[in-house]
Amino acid sequence: MDAYRTAGVRLYALSYDEPDALADYAEAHDTTFTMLSDPDSEVIGSFGILNTLIPPDDHPWYGLPFPGSYVINADGIIVAKFFEHNFAIRPGPEQLLAAALGTEFDVPELEQPPERVSVEVTIEGDSLPMGVTRHIVATFRVPEGQHVYSEPVPEGLVAAAIELDGNAGILSYEPVVPTTSPLTLSGSGDTLAVYEGDVVLRLPVAQNARNMQKDDNGRFVTISGRVRWQACDDAECFLPQSMPFSFRVEAGFPVLGDMGPGVGRVPAMNGARHFQRLIDRRAGTEPSAEDQ
Amino acid sequence: MEIELDTRGGPSNGPYFEDAEGFNMPEPPGNGSRRIPLGDFPTGPEVGSRLPDIVATDQTGRLVDVHADRAGQPAVVVFYRSAVW
Repeated sequence: MDAYRTAGVRLYALSYDEPDALADYAEAHDTTFTMLSDPDSEVIGSFGILNTLIPPDDHPWYGLPFPGSYVINADGIIVAKFFEHNFAIRPGPEQLLAAALGTEFDVPELEQPPERVSVEVTIEGDSLPMGVTRHIVATFRVPEGQHVYSEPVPEGLVAAAIELDGNAGILSYEPVVPTTSPLTLSGSGDTLAVYEGDVVLRLPVAQNARNMQKDDNGRFVTISGRVRWQACDDAECFLPQSMPFSFRVEAGFPVLGDMGPGVGRVPAMNGARHFQRLIDRRAGTEPSAEDQ
Repeated sequence: MEIELDTRGGPSNGPYFEDAEGFNMPEPPGNGSRRIPLGDFPTGPEVGSRLPDIVATDQTGRLVDVHADRAGQPAVVVFYRSAVW
């Protein structure tokens, strides 16, 4: 939250919970962002994102949105939005903040212009909590006069890409890539999409909870793979290149609503009571005030 | 828009089930809270349009008008499932 405050970006989180459930959550977790209550799903409905796969009599699920996030600029215009079909997955907060700030992914200048393509791979953040995507970031520096290819490429050429090792425990999503320039090959006349200059490819990854291989008592996960590319200039193509990467990061858990009590759990926010109320209110079986 | 229900997945350990992406859940895929879409689904107002007005009560009981409250600052607005479960 400090990063948001420093950047001057406000954060609002809206759900179909009652205000007092949000109050309990905020107190239990020292929440400093604004939590909004939409118990009748009026806002959700006005946005057209009510989950209509849930029938109205299915308590307490009816009223949920298709979850997602909107990023707006100072004028209130939506500049980005993030929706995943699976509500177990959402973008990491740094991705939302970057979108809000309109941050282009800055690439520091090199002191000496490169003669060959150089690549640096990092992972954003130092952890991969369940349910949150992080980006693997590959920064290619392509010398002037050269280019690398974007997918798809004809046989014989290798597109610039981030590939993960076959690890069933890591999910990957649609890569975030810059815009390409068209390049028409003189021989075949085919037009290919190429990248020039500094190129940043970002691959969102997430934990696949149950299948993930962890070490050190389940606290760490290793994400490995390679970056591939092939550089060409107007005259010739260089050999395809590949560079391995491996990141070992903490595999934490996000803050979850607490249904406690349970072994090792603290019923910090009266989750079970609020859950019962979600059911009762929708089913019309709310107990009278003196029962509560 | 015809929204297709994602029923991929199956039983997991113990009383749990697992969706196509390996996430555990208490109900079989495509049931209860796990009625999630498989293909296209509505994602609301488009990029480039103004965020529709949101007026709702916050965790302190205050009525918040998002566009007024943000006072000219950019913002992130998250629609999520629940703070309770």
